Amino acid sequence: MELFIKGIGCISPQLTYDNPDFLPGIKKYAGNRMMCIEPDYAPYFDAGSLRRMSRVVKFSAAAALIALKDSGITQLDAITTGTGYGLLENSEKFLKSMAESTGPVLSPTSFIQSTHNTVGATIALITGCNAHNNTFSHKGFSFESALIDARLMVAEGATHVLVGAHDEISEKTFALMEKLDVFRNNNEADINAYEKGSSGIVAGEGAAFFILSDKKGESDYGVLMDNIIFYHPENAIEVKQHIEAFLEKNKLALENIDVVISGINGDAKEDAVSHEINHLLFAHQTIVLFKHLCGEYMTASSFGFWLAAKILLAQQVPETVILKNRHRKPGYILLYNVFQNDHSLMLFKAC
Amino acid sequence: MEVYIAGKGIISAIGLNVEETLQSLKAGKSGIGTQTNLTGRRDSNLPTGEIALSNAELASMAGLSADYSRTALLSMIAAKDALADADINIKGLKCGFISATTVGGMDKTEKFMASFIRDGEVKDIGRILYHDSGAITELVAEALGIKHFVSTISTACSSSANAIMYASRLIKTGVLDMAIAGGTDAMSLFTLSGFNALMILDENYCTPYDDNRKGLNLGEGAGYVVLVSEKVAGKLSKAPAVKLTGYANANDAFHQTASSPEGKGNYLAMQGALKMSGLEISAIDYINLHGTGTANNDLSEGMAIQRIFGERVPKSSSTKAFTGHTLGACGGIEAIFSMMAIEQKMIFPNLRLKTPMKELGFVPVTELMEGVEVKNVLSNSFGFGGNCSSLIFSKVN
Amino acid sequence: MATLKKEIFEQLNLQHVKPEDIAYDQPLFVEGLGLDSIDALELIVLLQQKYGIKLANPAEGPKIFYSIKTMAEYITAHKKQ
Repeated sequence: MELFIKGIGCISPQLTYDNPDFLPGIKKYAGNRMMCIEPDYAPYFDAGSLRRMSRVVKFSAAAALIALKDSGITQLDAITTGTGYGLLENSEKFLKSMAESTGPVLSPTSFIQSTHNTVGATIALITGCNAHNNTFSHKGFSFESALIDARLMVAEGATHVLVGAHDEISEKTFALMEKLDVFRNNNEADINAYEKGSSGIVAGEGAAFFILSDKKGESDYGVLMDNIIFYHPENAIEVKQHIEAFLEKNKLALENIDVVISGINGDAKEDAVSHEINHLLFAHQTIVLFKHLCGEYMTASSFGFWLAAKILLAQQVPETVILKNRHRKPGYILLYNVFQNDHSLMLFKAC
Repeated sequence: MEVYIAGKGIISAIGLNVEETLQSLKAGKSGIGTQTNLTGRRDSNLPTGEIALSNAELASMAGLSADYSRTALLSMIAAKDALADADINIKGLKCGFISATTVGGMDKTEKFMASFIRDGEVKDIGRILYHDSGAITELVAEALGIKHFVSTISTACSSSANAIMYASRLIKTGVLDMAIAGGTDAMSLFTLSGFNALMILDENYCTPYDDNRKGLNLGEGAGYVVLVSEKVAGKLSKAPAVKLTGYANANDAFHQTASSPEGKGNYLAMQGALKMSGLEISAIDYINLHGTGTANNDLSEGMAIQRIFGERVPKSSSTKAFTGHTLGACGGIEAIFSMMAIEQKMIFPNLRLKTPMKELGFVPVTELMEGVEVKNVLSNSFGFGGNCSSLIFSKVN
Repeated sequence: MATLKKEIFEQLNLQHVKPEDIAYDQPLFVEGLGLDSIDALELIVLLQQKYGIKLANPAEGPKIFYSIKTMAEYITAHKKQ
């Protein structure tokens, strides 16, 4: 079932909010992490609410409110969210209080705000939305599962669904991942470095939310035609079979795809399959990368979704994201993301 | 198209499998007692519904490494049992594993973090590798050989009810032919300390729906059901006795942890489930209450129930007096209790209820009822963040 | 009481009002600052951590935390030396 993208909101390591320009330049990060550029939150939340919200709750709920405003929709029929790690800073804060406190009572606020559905719940609270509200937490399938849930709710009669995802870089977890030797240092977000790849990822974070509907409108960004997930394929041949079956199911051939948005993250080992697929199937498509803009995190594909929506509306692909083949007008876009062998495909088309 | 339940698997403080669980329910034997596995904070002295096995013993039952999170071990035991109970060969079928958890690998992580946060000591960093919810699910999916579709839901106490709903929707729309759906949560100091900080734990054994109730007891466990499409149901060696006929999730949108006094989210969830099932309110024979034993929940839930059922509230009980509040697993575990009520023609008692709540016009059942025709059961699971879910299970004719 | 006011502001992370704007006998909950049940729990933590007073029954909370003045009086009466 096709879903029209009616509104988008994104807070990320790039200036993706309050910015009418579409990636006019990009912010490059040295080092091994990219943190969000955050707005002043006063216009979004009252001070009474703000005092309890951790950073990720603020930037995620703000992204959702931006999407809502962007769409002009006031009535939501469902809210579905994905988050890989949930609310890390709050969890760490509570763990710290457990470790350091000698008394019998602990401050409850960080515990309360550590449950994975805190962002979804906060959005419901702010918008007064009593509708279906779900939160998925499954690695590279978190955002994708939420998208599927949105489609399932629309199939049951929902008209407008708010779907999104969020993940944050938090101090202790980041320090631990450094010890696990997961990261590499950013060489100035040079997109060509991603082609070659080295070892390790650059950590990222962000939130992206979208209003989807089965009702066509006057100012839609584009159409999400379909999305699927597939788990731990054995090799590139199996991935190829999934891609071909997915396109066939949607009555398309490989040649119909104009732009491929790829979740290549610069780690040669993790990217091997994506490179092979690009080589096998997409020699003639415009290949676009996005993780040099937002870093790698479990729900980074939601940033890719934001990028797809912007490209569809502008009918133009910014130079700064093109890896190769500049010539194709973005009619059909395929987003292919991999996170630790969780694979996802999203198919978009222009209105 | 209807969704049938082909199998069930469960582990909790009242039994290591379906049979033991049923015996405890019939005998009125609660599993709540003194904590033995966790130490380290004063909170660990509170009564809980703990499974009286060590991680090594659970690992042996599960056929997994004892180094894995207890959450994963419990999940494996119950999911494996559910699949075996269904007696289906999943090969050739589009089979999904939809799990749910709130704790995830926190039981391991918190031990690691205690020393890391205090003095930066990095000891056995491998313990944190399976911290996230998805990691727990994938450990079990791998062991069960399920590859077609995996996902995890985490919405506090309504998690596994939401997992069952998601799985059902995936089957109805043809994405899946069948799914193992439910949830798991192990005891952790993080959760114990957290709930204690909210001051909603009872220092004694909990008394849900009692006028003098003081709070909840935490529990641990896992519960999964095997959902199948009508087509698959027709091919099973054992014809399903129960089907999932209605469900809904709604949000209270009132407060992060407290329910609105009138239980708006609770009301909308129950109403939505009833609407989907097409059943009249008089057709509901039993309500498995969320009934945690907190002042807030039992009142909000009770008010919402009265708003829907009026003078004629069906027989009801909270089984959390047996198992404790198993958090992310409770939707799955109580789905199985609901099924048992139908299959065994029983209504399980609400233990330790002495003084009915003065605000309510109905009183949960306090003695086991046998030989009762139970055709339709409503099961409630309400979580933090106003996340309210209701499921309706019905007898197959 | 000035110290207590400062501690309350810190514990509850109050940013939307200035300490000068809250009188010592002003109601803290419902109207006034619009504090809620979670704030009440935080104030119980404050009593324990800063003054060594354990409040076992949260139901007593509304009376004790009615205003900064009532809180100060309770602390004076129950503080462990």
